[in-house]
Amino acid sequence: MRDRRLHRTLRLLPLATAVAAAMPVQADSGVGVDTWRANRLHPDAGVSISAPDERGTSWLAPGQRRAPTGNLYQCPLEPAPPRERGDWIGHGVLEVGAIATSGDDHDAQWNRYVDWDSGLILGLLDYTLERPDDGSYANVRASRISDDDEYYQAVFGRAGSFKVQAFLRDVPNVLSDDAKSIWNGVGGNELTLVAPLVPAGSTRAEVAAAHAAAPTRTLSVTREKQGIGFSMYLTPRWTLYANATNEDRKGARAFGGTFFFNFPFPDNGGIFETLRPIDDSTVNLNGGLRFAGPVWRMDFGYVGSFYRDAYTRFTYETPYALYPVVPGAVSAPLTIGQFATEPDNDYHNLKATFTRKLPLNGELSLTASGGRMRQDDDLIAPIECQGVFGIGLEGSLALGPQNPFLFDCADWNTPDALSRRSADMQIDTTLFDGRIVLQPSGDLTVRGGVRWNREDYRDTYLAFNPRTGQYGYVSENGAQGSVVPGEIGFWDPFGNASNVTRVRSLALDLETTEATFAADWKLGTHDTLGATYTFNRFEPTHRERREVDAHSLKLTWVNRALDWLTFRANYTYLTQDGDRYNHDPYEHTFSMSLPGFIALPGGVLAHTVDALRKYDVSSRDQNKLDLMATLAPRADMTLSASLRGEWNDYDAVLGRRGYDTLGFTLQWEWQPSPRTSTSVYYGYDRSSLGIANINDLENGDDPTLGGATYPLEGRWWVDDEQRNHNAGATFRHAFGRVRFDAGWNSLYSRGITSYRFASPVALAYFSDGALGIDRFPPMSWRVNSFDIGITFPLHERASLRLFDYYERASIRDWHYDGFDRVRVIDHRVYADGGPESYDANMVGLLLRVTL
Amino acid sequence: MAQAREARTRRMAALAWLLAVFAPLAIAQQDRADLSRSLPSSDLSGDTVAATRRDLIAAPGFALARVGDNPAAPGATPVGERMCIGCHQLEAEHFTHTFHALGLHAANKADASIPVCETCHGAGSAHAREPTTKGLIIGYTKGSQTPIEVQARTCLTCHEGGPRDHWRGSVHQRNDLSCSDCHNPMAKFSAEGSLARGSINDTCAQCHRDVRMQFDRRSHMPLPEGQMSCVDCHNPHGSLTAPLLKTNTVNETCYQCHAEKRGPFLFEHAPVRTNCLNCHTPHGSNQHALLVAPIPFLCQQCHSHQRHPNDLQTPASLATGPHPDERLMGRACITCHANIHGSNAPSGPRFHE
Repeated sequence: MRDRRLHRTLRLLPLATAVAAAMPVQADSGVGVDTWRANRLHPDAGVSISAPDERGTSWLAPGQRRAPTGNLYQCPLEPAPPRERGDWIGHGVLEVGAIATSGDDHDAQWNRYVDWDSGLILGLLDYTLERPDDGSYANVRASRISDDDEYYQAVFGRAGSFKVQAFLRDVPNVLSDDAKSIWNGVGGNELTLVAPLVPAGSTRAEVAAAHAAAPTRTLSVTREKQGIGFSMYLTPRWTLYANATNEDRKGARAFGGTFFFNFPFPDNGGIFETLRPIDDSTVNLNGGLRFAGPVWRMDFGYVGSFYRDAYTRFTYETPYALYPVVPGAVSAPLTIGQFATEPDNDYHNLKATFTRKLPLNGELSLTASGGRMRQDDDLIAPIECQGVFGIGLEGSLALGPQNPFLFDCADWNTPDALSRRSADMQIDTTLFDGRIVLQPSGDLTVRGGVRWNREDYRDTYLAFNPRTGQYGYVSENGAQGSVVPGEIGFWDPFGNASNVTRVRSLALDLETTEATFAADWKLGTHDTLGATYTFNRFEPTHRERREVDAHSLKLTWVNRALDWLTFRANYTYLTQDGDRYNHDPYEHTFSMSLPGFIALPGGVLAHTVDALRKYDVSSRDQNKLDLMATLAPRADMTLSASLRGEWNDYDAVLGRRGYDTLGFTLQWEWQPSPRTSTSVYYGYDRSSLGIANINDLENGDDPTLGGATYPLEGRWWVDDEQRNHNAGATFRHAFGRVRFDAGWNSLYSRGITSYRFASPVALAYFSDGALGIDRFPPMSWRVNSFDIGITFPLHERASLRLFDYYERASIRDWHYDGFDRVRVIDHRVYADGGPESYDANMVGLLLRVTL
Repeated sequence: MAQAREARTRRMAALAWLLAVFAPLAIAQQDRADLSRSLPSSDLSGDTVAATRRDLIAAPGFALARVGDNPAAPGATPVGERMCIGCHQLEAEHFTHTFHALGLHAANKADASIPVCETCHGAGSAHAREPTTKGLIIGYTKGSQTPIEVQARTCLTCHEGGPRDHWRGSVHQRNDLSCSDCHNPMAKFSAEGSLARGSINDTCAQCHRDVRMQFDRRSHMPLPEGQMSCVDCHNPHGSLTAPLLKTNTVNETCYQCHAEKRGPFLFEHAPVRTNCLNCHTPHGSNQHALLVAPIPFLCQQCHSHQRHPNDLQTPASLATGPHPDERLMGRACITCHANIHGSNAPSGPRFHE
């Protein structure tokens, strides 16, 4: 209740801030999000509704000028005819009409961030009032293309003085349109089985029938956000800003759920794709004070975030009973699984930057930043059950010494079974950054910088049950210990002194230090050369390496020797290495670290194989190339080309071994006249990810690659190759006062995951070694979209736009192969059928009125 | 439905209320007494400016606006907007509809020492005498003969500091980009931001088409749908990070919209806390949820623990195969390890709960 009240209070903060008007703000390129409000109908917020000005840009020269890099500027748009209203001048546009969708218009991918809906829409309302006398202005912009896709914003201010803005926006995220649920209560935090299914008492056939009978449903999450912002000049040098937003997310999405494996235990266990609720809100605040003087600049900023989830946990019922692997024994009837939702959290960050100009056209800039992220959510009980859980070895579910693997729910189904009632977790962050730039001559610039960043965990959690004196937790909702005797997840020095289980949280303190030295030389007026050396030290706590050092050298060349070409080249070489690699830095979080732990005669299972290298702390060499050219083959054309590649070679026998990417793009733009413009692009890129791993032959304590546990014949390799072909074109032309536009966009992606293995021992199923297959089916995504529109003038201030948008996509994700036919596979139940191919169309008619 | 209608009504009312509260502020702002001006008028074409001047004070944001310094025309003197318009009439007409024009014209009316065109283009007399000689006016186009650093410095005269505090040394500055590669304040090309193209995303795609293409992939951030922009994550004007992130780290950037992932969780997943990009690619992916590689192989880059995680799966483990296996089908590993970003459940060290 306390948190609820706090949350309600926080949601009022944006409004309170606005009323007070004492805290100015603005979402800008330096802080915060919400920098753009638009939608799929007008991703450019409607500016292209206006026609290009047939008179062009200038009376003095035909055609368009080019930006310094060489891209053609666009032809200015036809100025809106203003209407004087006293001291104010008003202009704007209203676009209303209707759209109709057809074909597979319920498809999730088609609706992903749009949720198209046939009916009346507000395409755009954009109206501006300006008062030239003092530079005051006001603007309202709005669009609503479906129930969940709309925005409204209002801005007013005075140029060079202040600006106030407020907005409301809804953004949909449609995740699936073919989900089926065997539970009631989707969208809430208690999933109960549909009739006639019975918790822990249903057969596979009954579950399959219930799944088949379940209606198909759409899963989506909608973000509803409100925000205000204010910024103002206090003096010509000082500015103040502040922003406040509140965002609510509501909906449901596919998630998981487990009652132990099904693959090794036919007709046993339980694997569930549940539907979890999304019901949360986040208040984001930022504000600051900035100074820009002739010698000094200063920037003081605060950022805060307050996340609140409506639920602490969500639960689901399992339809399946469990059976122990021991003959004659019985399993406890577990019925409910649970998840903790993401905890409510608070975040604060303060940052201050001081910059001073120096002799030699130099600058020194120092930044200090400190932050805190904290959560103290109430912890849920280790298990949600009544009666007992575990295995009754002697064939009954009576607690007692005869049943050492049977446990009383009452000892674990309450927060009293925890070492503390709330999480009390916190990370403090600290950042110092200093950088200097000097220009000893007009041709030479030198720079240097040091950056130090640290994240400190302020608490750890000990998994200890004061009611029983045991350490650890309840594994998989009690299911694992209800199938396999002893695998319940507890440790104690009496009956379970050799159990290996997690007993502590993992504090991941992290320190990063970076030093940079760079120089740029101007060689004449056409060439700039640059070189940058960077040293980066990454010091994680409780990771496989305590120190990871990276050295990189980056070379830059910019050439403008030719009037028709701007060429940029960047090449980077990076090498990363570190101290001794410890394949098991996590022992302190397990029961082996507790006094009284007794290793079995065979030893403790090796945590992993010693030759495995986790790629974020692995040694590696990287080469990176980035070439960009902008050409002007004619006065009215631009041709752009880029080539980008990155090659990463990891020093790893097992783990990620290589990750290479290479791609190029070509763009062509032609603006022969204000009436006509067209563009074409093509892009290709490929990536290759190489992985190696090893299967264990037997459970053992030997981590050695090639040893008894991990023999060499268990090795396997996977290569994931991705290819993407992108292409597109646009065309616009005005036939008199009738305007025509068309566009095409295409992507063909194909991914192949292939594998090889030293022997069938490497495989999950030995028999697969004889299949003669070495790859998965292609993972593909091919989408073509076409749009065509024609705009007819009706009146001096009105026009009618008729348009059509057609999209056809085919998709294959092998994870979901066969899910169109069956999603209840033994004791596995899947809700989502996976992405689907679609063929959908939208036609629209919009009336545009110049206001 | 009724609830939705009520919520919508409530939100619209809030918007109207906000407007009502703040509108008077906008009007009141024009009456602020402020700084005096001492420099002479830059309008050498006549005295009409003085004639139309009202008792207004220039907005503080324009108080420092002065004739731009053009090293290539050291002896040039200001000529005033009217003389510019004499030749550049059409440009002036387009410019009139921009935010810069609104502010500069108002400032110029309040204080004739504040120039309009010459704030950005420098004193125009040399250019007026020799209009075809390049460099005598500060130009922002390719071939204008105005060095890139002069272009940027002129813009920064008014726009220095704040989000542009770290322009010097940023990857864009060091690759010789000019402000006018992305911005064109001479006409209204974008709804906001005085951009060179219709939107932030289109502007960035002029050079970063390869990145823009990634947003067409199966899973992507809602950028093609116009729901977000490149600048939600990046500050193209320079920042404390090499990839121009707006926050101190990758994860801080992601948490701006995914605050639920911030935690800290009771049980953390190390690569998640270190860097979201260990598993996700930020712009688009042909895997589910912007993943770098298909699961389970994404996970098996790091996990070779005994028993079930390190087996090599084949297509025979799919639902269409002879031995369907939950470690491969559907959500694969994260069907069971569902709270993979971290779990706040006391029984969640393996992210099962």
